Amino acid sequence: MKQQSSDLETRSSDSASDMEPIIQLRNLNIGYTKSLVKDITAEIYPGDRIAIIGPSGIGKTTLLRTIAGLIAPVSGEIDNDCVGRGQIGYIPQKLGLVRHSSARNNVMLGARTRKSRLHLPFFGLGEVLNKEVDNILQKLGISEISDEPVRILSGGQQRRVAIARALIQKPKLIVADEFLGELDLDNIDSIIEILEAQLSEINATLVMVEHQEDIARSIATRIWRIVDNQIIEEVI
Amino acid sequence: MNSKLLAGIVITTILTILAIDDIVGDWSTIDGSFENLYVFFTQDLFPPDWSILSPEPNKQCNSEIGFFCSQAWKGISETLQMAFIATVLGFVISLPIASLAANNLYPLPIAMSARVVLAGLRSLPSIIWALIFTIAIGFGPFSGVLAMTLYTIGYLGKLQYEAIEGIANEPLEASMAMGLTKSERFLFVVIPESSNNLISQSLFMFEYNVRHGTVLGLVGAGGIGQYIDTNLKFFIYDKAMAFLIVIFVVVVMIDILSMVIRSYVTDESDFKRPKWWTVLLPSDAAMSIHKKSLEEE
Repeated sequence: MKQQSSDLETRSSDSASDMEPIIQLRNLNIGYTKSLVKDITAEIYPGDRIAIIGPSGIGKTTLLRTIAGLIAPVSGEIDNDCVGRGQIGYIPQKLGLVRHSSARNNVMLGARTRKSRLHLPFFGLGEVLNKEVDNILQKLGISEISDEPVRILSGGQQRRVAIARALIQKPKLIVADEFLGELDLDNIDSIIEILEAQLSEINATLVMVEHQEDIARSIATRIWRIVDNQIIEEVI
Repeated sequence: MNSKLLAGIVITTILTILAIDDIVGDWSTIDGSFENLYVFFTQDLFPPDWSILSPEPNKQCNSEIGFFCSQAWKGISETLQMAFIATVLGFVISLPIASLAANNLYPLPIAMSARVVLAGLRSLPSIIWALIFTIAIGFGPFSGVLAMTLYTIGYLGKLQYEAIEGIANEPLEASMAMGLTKSERFLFVVIPESSNNLISQSLFMFEYNVRHGTVLGLVGAGGIGQYIDTNLKFFIYDKAMAFLIVIFVVVVMIDILSMVIRSYVTDESDFKRPKWWTVLLPSDAAMSIHKKSLEEE
């Protein structure tokens, strides 16, 4: 990866000396049939908030899906420490909610990943996790509509449900694809505020795609811009 | 008109006429058939013999309402029970097979194997299954239930895996990235997302089984069809006609009931229908009546 500033190299090397990266990308080429983004070599550290930006169709979502383990790279290697159950919280562009289930059931789906794989689906989550679900619903301001089916909720409410589902997992990594969508500014500010507080609380890493650069810069600690099939890391 | 389209229509028409001519062979055999049909309808079938709605003679009736001791009630209730059991059993068995057959849940070799099983069960119509079971088990409704169940598994399974493949990919992807197990994904993502279709298809299958349950009696597999078969064998056509009218009424009633239930399991069901009969209308029309009633309030 190309870097624009020596400050950034210093910051990255500081991070490296403090802690081990949770994801290492080595000579990665990503895409479906042909490479969209080439020769990516980068490290993602715990607590990083990375925003991937660039024009439409350039490979931002493909990179995100590759990091989330949903598609294999064309070539190159990914060392991903976040591979176990519940280690990745994924918020796709269309949110990926179960439309016919209630907001609570969607959040409980995230909470379920905190139980073992052997925990039979027919059994409940237990008192502690149920209380955590109530808490997160309250923090995100959706406790009153928690029993409504997701399909009838507004765009802002659905986004809060998707964020709650990812946060309740207490994942190492949250991967979010333009999850703020076309929300109004008030909603965006309130969601960012809640997200930042919660990310700090669970010490999760965030990798996100965001087409609005000002929003990306307000959340991110690192910016990856895709230009000419290459990633350039920019100074914040 | 496009010349290729015109040529296509002409060729199809000629081929259809040739095929009909080949099948009929000797057109003189059709002479007088309409007169025969008229005589059959007016003298043999009509008026229907409604004694089938009265208690059977020489048999004890423990019900205060005589209709519940009639042949019509016995026959149709047996057919309804057979269809109900077959639909429930078929649904329970076909759903896991359909999940294996869905290529958005399992890799192609597994999906193809499950599809072959479903296609195998579906390739024989329920009347052939009924023949097989009446030979193996004997006459009676149990053979009919088994026949209908097997066909239901094949038919409903196909509808189910198509419904599962039709669900949005994003919830599935999100659940995969989260690390949910296949069974969790199936129970908490696939079933809720396809539930409307699954319910709707099961109601359709029940209707289908009731209609086909009437035919199974012809091969001795129980239900109202057995009464029709007996009457046809003894040339008692007016009674057979009465049974057919009973079946028609019951099928229409089930159809209406099914429409009512299905109206609550579509995406358009989020609004409350003000009048029960609006379920018979397309959702747009029902919605406009609903809006008018809200304005009046």
